[in-house]
Amino acid sequence: MSVETHAHHEHPDVVGSRNRLGVILLLVADIAFALSMVFVYFYLRGQNVNNMWLPAATSDHPAIEPLSAGPGWTVTAIAAFGLLAHMYGLKGARSQNQTQLKLGSLVALVASVIAIGYQYNTISSAPFTFSDGAYVSCFYMFAIMNMVHLLLTLFISFGNWNRARLGLYVENFWHVDIVRIWWIWMVVSSLLGAFSLSYP
Amino acid sequence: MTTLTQHTSTAPGKSIIEKLNVFTALALGVISAVVVWRLSLAFLPEDAEGARLFSREDKITLLSMCGWFVGFMTGIGALVGPMRWVMGKDLAHDENMFLAGENMGPKRYFRYTTDHKVVGIQYLFITILIFFLGGGMAMLIRTNLGTPEGGWLHPQAYNSIVGTHGILMIVGTIIMITGPFGNFIMPIMIGARDMAFPRLNALSFWLIVAAAVPLIWGQFIGGITTGWSAYNPLAGQAPLGMDGYIMYICIFAISTMVAGANITTTVVKMRAKGMTWNRTPIFIYGTVASVALALPAFPVFFLSQILSAFDRALDTSFYNVAGGGSGWLYENLFWIMGHPEVYVILIPAIAALMEMAPVFTRRPLFSFNVAVLGIAGISGLSVLVWAHHMYISGWAPLLNAPFMLTTELISIPTGMMFLVLIGTLWRGRLWMTMPLMSIFALLWNFMIGGITGIYLSDVPADAFLHGSMYVTAHFHYTLMGAGLTGALASLVYWFPKMTGRMFDKTLSWISFWLVQIGFNVAFIGMFMVGLAGQPRRVEAYAPTFNTANLVTTIGAYTIMIGMLVLLHGVISSARNGVKASKNPWQAKTLEWTVDYPIPLENFDVLPVVTTDPYGYGKAKS
Amino acid sequence: MTDLMSPKTPQWWKKSDVKKTFILWIISTAVIGYVGVEFHVRNMVAPASDTMSSVISLMRMFTWAAAPVAGLVAAMCITVLTTKRHYGDNPPEEADHEIRNSPKTAAVWVVVSGLFCLFALVGGLVVLQHDNEAILDKQAIQVNVTGQQWVWNFDYANGARSEDLYLPVNKPVVFHITSVDVKHSFWVVQMGIKMDANPGYTTETAVTPNKIGVFDVRCAELCGLLHAYMQTKVHVVSQADYDAWLSAHAATEAGA
Ligand code: HEM
Ligand SMILES: [Cu+2]
Ligand SMILES: [Cu+2]
Repeated sequence: MSVETHAHHEHPDVVGSRNRLGVILLLVADIAFALSMVFVYFYLRGQNVNNMWLPAATSDHPAIEPLSAGPGWTVTAIAAFGLLAHMYGLKGARSQNQTQLKLGSLVALVASVIAIGYQYNTISSAPFTFSDGAYVSCFYMFAIMNMVHLLLTLFISFGNWNRARLGLYVENFWHVDIVRIWWIWMVVSSLLGAFSLSYP
Repeated sequence: MTTLTQHTSTAPGKSIIEKLNVFTALALGVISAVVVWRLSLAFLPEDAEGARLFSREDKITLLSMCGWFVGFMTGIGALVGPMRWVMGKDLAHDENMFLAGENMGPKRYFRYTTDHKVVGIQYLFITILIFFLGGGMAMLIRTNLGTPEGGWLHPQAYNSIVGTHGILMIVGTIIMITGPFGNFIMPIMIGARDMAFPRLNALSFWLIVAAAVPLIWGQFIGGITTGWSAYNPLAGQAPLGMDGYIMYICIFAISTMVAGANITTTVVKMRAKGMTWNRTPIFIYGTVASVALALPAFPVFFLSQILSAFDRALDTSFYNVAGGGSGWLYENLFWIMGHPEVYVILIPAIAALMEMAPVFTRRPLFSFNVAVLGIAGISGLSVLVWAHHMYISGWAPLLNAPFMLTTELISIPTGMMFLVLIGTLWRGRLWMTMPLMSIFALLWNFMIGGITGIYLSDVPADAFLHGSMYVTAHFHYTLMGAGLTGALASLVYWFPKMTGRMFDKTLSWISFWLVQIGFNVAFIGMFMVGLAGQPRRVEAYAPTFNTANLVTTIGAYTIMIGMLVLLHGVISSARNGVKASKNPWQAKTLEWTVDYPIPLENFDVLPVVTTDPYGYGKAKS
Repeated sequence: MTDLMSPKTPQWWKKSDVKKTFILWIISTAVIGYVGVEFHVRNMVAPASDTMSSVISLMRMFTWAAAPVAGLVAAMCITVLTTKRHYGDNPPEEADHEIRNSPKTAAVWVVVSGLFCLFALVGGLVVLQHDNEAILDKQAIQVNVTGQQWVWNFDYANGARSEDLYLPVNKPVVFHITSVDVKHSFWVVQMGIKMDANPGYTTETAVTPNKIGVFDVRCAELCGLLHAYMQTKVHVVSQADYDAWLSAHAATEAGA
C-alpha cells in the first residue's frame, strides 16, 4: 500500500484515493470468497447428505455434537475491539496527536495477537477429527480461514504500528485510514463465520 | 512515500532488489520445494487407519507445491514491497525507477519489472506459450480421435491431456486480451503514465508463471484426469496430479483478483483530463467489464479448490458423499464462477473489435451507448445464469425454468453487440485488412455459437445435447471463433505499437484464412457427431461417428498450420518487419499519439481529451 | 438524430443498398433456415420416443426462428463486403456520413430480440411441462438405475437386475437414478432423455418408448478411466416379450 510514483510527482491525496479504491476492490474479491463459505455451510446443512451433517453415534464412534458458536463470537469481539482501538488511533492522527495514534495502533496490534491465540486454541482444542462429517468440515473451514485473515491482520497492524512509531504518519495518514477499512472487514468476515456456526 | 526523501542509494533492501530475477526465483522455488518435500516426508505422521487413500501423499505434494510457490515469489522479489512497508522504509524514488526497468535493456523482461509495457510483453509471451502447449495437446486429442478405437493413447493419458488442454486454454483465453493489450495498450489509451499499482501489475504476471509449474508438475504424478471442470467427487479420487490443478487454480485466482483491482482502479482513477465516460474508448469498457466480472467470480473458484484440497489432504467431507458432502455443491461453486468466466473471455474480444471497426470503416462507432449497455447487460446477467450448466444434474428441477429465462435473456444484450458491429460496418468504407475481416469472422462464428447456445439453454433440448460433443462445438465457436478471433485481430492491430514494426500482411492473411476455414471445418464436424450422439471427453467412439471425427481432425490440423504461420509472422515481423509510423492505421485513440519506442512514462505532458475517439466520416454538407 | 438507414433521403427503403440487402435477406434467411434445419435433423438420431420427437421439432422451430436474425446479419455483411472495398497500406477516404446513432433501429432491434427470447422460452416451457408430467404417471414402470465405474445396473420392481435395459413399447417408464462412486450421466440417446447419476442422491426422469428395437445408453459425464466404454443397450420389446424376460430374470435371481 505504499506510494508508487515514478518520475512525476503526484499529490498524496490522489495516491491515497487510488489506493483506497484498490483495497476496496480487493475486498470485493474477499467478500465473494467469504459469502461463498456461508453458501457452502448452509448448502451442506440443508442437504444433509446421508444424514452425515452431524453423524449419529455408531458402534465405534460417539455422535458428533456441534460446538457452541461462543468462541467464534469471542474472536469477533476481540477483532471489534482491535477495530475500535485502531479508530482511536486514527482519530489521534487526524487531530495531530501522534501519541494517541501510536497507542491506538499498539492496542490494535495486541488485539490481533490475542485473537490469533484464541483462534488457535479453538482449532486445536476442538474435539473432532477432520473426517467427522460435513458440519465439522465447515467448522474447520471457517476457523482456518479466519485464522488466515487474522494472520494478515497481524501483518498489517504490525506494519501500521511500526510506521506510526517511526513517525511516518505525521503529514498524511491515508494508510491508517485504509488499514481501518481492512479492520472493518476483518470484523465482518469473522462475524459471518460466527453467525453461520450459530445455526448448526 | 512521496513526501519522504530517502534517496540514500545504500538503503539495505536496494541491493536485494538488484539481485533478484527470474533465475533466483527459480532457484529459490526449487530449493524450497525440495526442502519442504524432504521435511514433510520425514515428519508427517502416517495416515490414520480408515483415512482416504493417499491422504499423506496429497499433503506432501500440496505442501511441496506451496513451498515452490512461496520460494518462487520470494525469489522474484514480490515480498520486497510489503516488507519495506512494514519496516517503514518505503521504496525510494530511484528504487522505483530501477523496478520500472529504467535503462535496463532486455534484462527487464526477466525481472519483477513494474513498467506496464514490459508486463504487457511478458503477458503476450506467456499467452503464446500457453496456446502453443494447449494447441499441441489439442493435436494429440484430435489425432487420437482420428480413428474410432483411439488406441495409441492410454485412456489415463488421454483424459489427462483433455483436462490439461482445457484448463490451459481457459487460462490462456482469459488473459489473451486483458493481459497483453490490457496492460500494454490500455494505460496509454486512457492517457496514463502507468497502471495504478505497478508492483501489483508485476505481481499478477509472475503469479501466472508461478502457477504454471504445479500444472506441469502434475503431469508427471498422474495427470489431471477430470476435464477442465474437475468435478468432485471424481477429482477426489483422481491421482496426485490433481493437486497440481488445485495449486494452479488457486494461484491463478489470486493473479486475476490482483489484476482486476489494478486495472479497474487505473481506469476509474487515472483517465486523462477530459476523458469523460462518454469519451472513453469502448475497448476500455470491455477490459474493465471483463476484469471487474472476474473479481467476484474467481474467489468462488478459489474456494472450491481449497475445499477440494481439504477433502484430498485432510479427509474432510465437502464433496465426499460418504461424509455428508455433496457433488452438487462443487458444481454450484464451479459454475457460479464458470459462466461469468466465459464472458470474461468474450467481452474484451468483442470490445477490441468494436474499437477497430470505426478505424477500418472510417466512420464513427455506431451506437456507442448501446455498446456500453450491451457490455453492462451481459456482465450483469452473466452472474444469474450459472445453473444452465446443471439442468441435467437434477440438483433443483424447479429452478430449471427460471434459469432458462435468465439464459435466454442474455441474447438481448448479445444482440446489442451484433447491432453495434454490423451498424458500424454498414455504409462504411472497408479497409481490407486482417483485423477488419476478423470482424466478419466474429459475426459468423459468434452467430453460430450464440444460436447453438440458445438450443442448449432450452431444457428439453439440453436433455439431449448436454454432455455431448455438441456442447464442445458450441463453446469452441464462442471461445475460439469469437474470442480468439478478436485476440488475433488485436495482435495484428496493436503489433506496430508494441514492436515498432508492422505485422507482415501476407502472413496475416494466410493465417487468417487457414485458421478460420480450419476452425469451421473442425467444429461443424463436431456439431455433427454431437447431434448423432457422441458424448464428449471420450477416448474411443462407435464407428458410425468416424467420418465426421476425421473431418474434425483434418480441420484441427489446418488450424494448427494457420497458427504456426501466425507464430512465424510474429517472430519474423518483430525482427525485420517494415518499420511502422506512429499511427499506421490513422486511428484516433491516444495510444497512437506516442512515438516508438514509447518512453518509460509514456507521456511527458499528459494529454487532454476533448472529443471521443470516433470522429471519422465526412460531415454531411 | 438521423436514422441509420437515411443519411440523405427520408425514404430509406428506396436506397439501392437497402433494396439489395432486403433481397439478400430473404434469400439468406431461406438458405440458413433450410440448411440449418436439415443439418440438425439429418444428423440427429431417429427418434424412439415422443420426447425425442419434440426435441427435434424444437430444434427445427428454433432454427427457423433464428434464421431471419442470422439472415439479416449475413445479408448486411454481404452488401457491405460487395461495395466500397479498399486495399492498400494507407487508409481509404473517410466514409461519406458520420452517423453515430439511431435510437429507432436500436429499439426495434431490442424489441425483436426480446420477442425471440420470449418465443424460445415459451416453446421450451411447453415441452418441459409435458416431459415433467410423465414422471407423475401412476401407471408407469419403475426402474432403478445405478451408475458405477464403468457399468450401468438396472433393477426392476420384481427384483430382476440386468446390465442391459429391457422396456416394453408404449408404456411410460420412470427411472430412479443414482451412482455408487462418482457422477455419471444416464443418456438414452434415441429417446432424448438424460439425467445425471449422482452419488448420495436419487434423481428422476421418465420416457415412453414408442418403437421396438435396440437403442443406445451412453454415459455422458466424464467418470474416470473407462468413461468412453461405459455404454450399454436398451431393448424395447413388445409387452409379452417384456413380461417373459422379466419373469425369467426374476426367477434366476431367486434361484441364485
Ligand atoms: C449467446 C448466448 C449463449 C448461450 C445462450 C449459451 C448457453 C450455454 C449453455 C446452456 C451451456 C450448457 C450446455 C450444457 O452443458 O449442456 C453452455 C455451455 C458453454 N458455453 Fe455457452 N452460451 C452462450 C454464449 C457463450 C459464450 C459467449 C461463451 C464463451 C465465450 C460460452 C462458453 C461456453 C462454455 C465454455 C460452455 C461449456 C462448459 C463445459 O461444460 O465445459 N457460451 N452455453
Ligand atoms: Cu454458461
Ligand atoms: Cu460414467
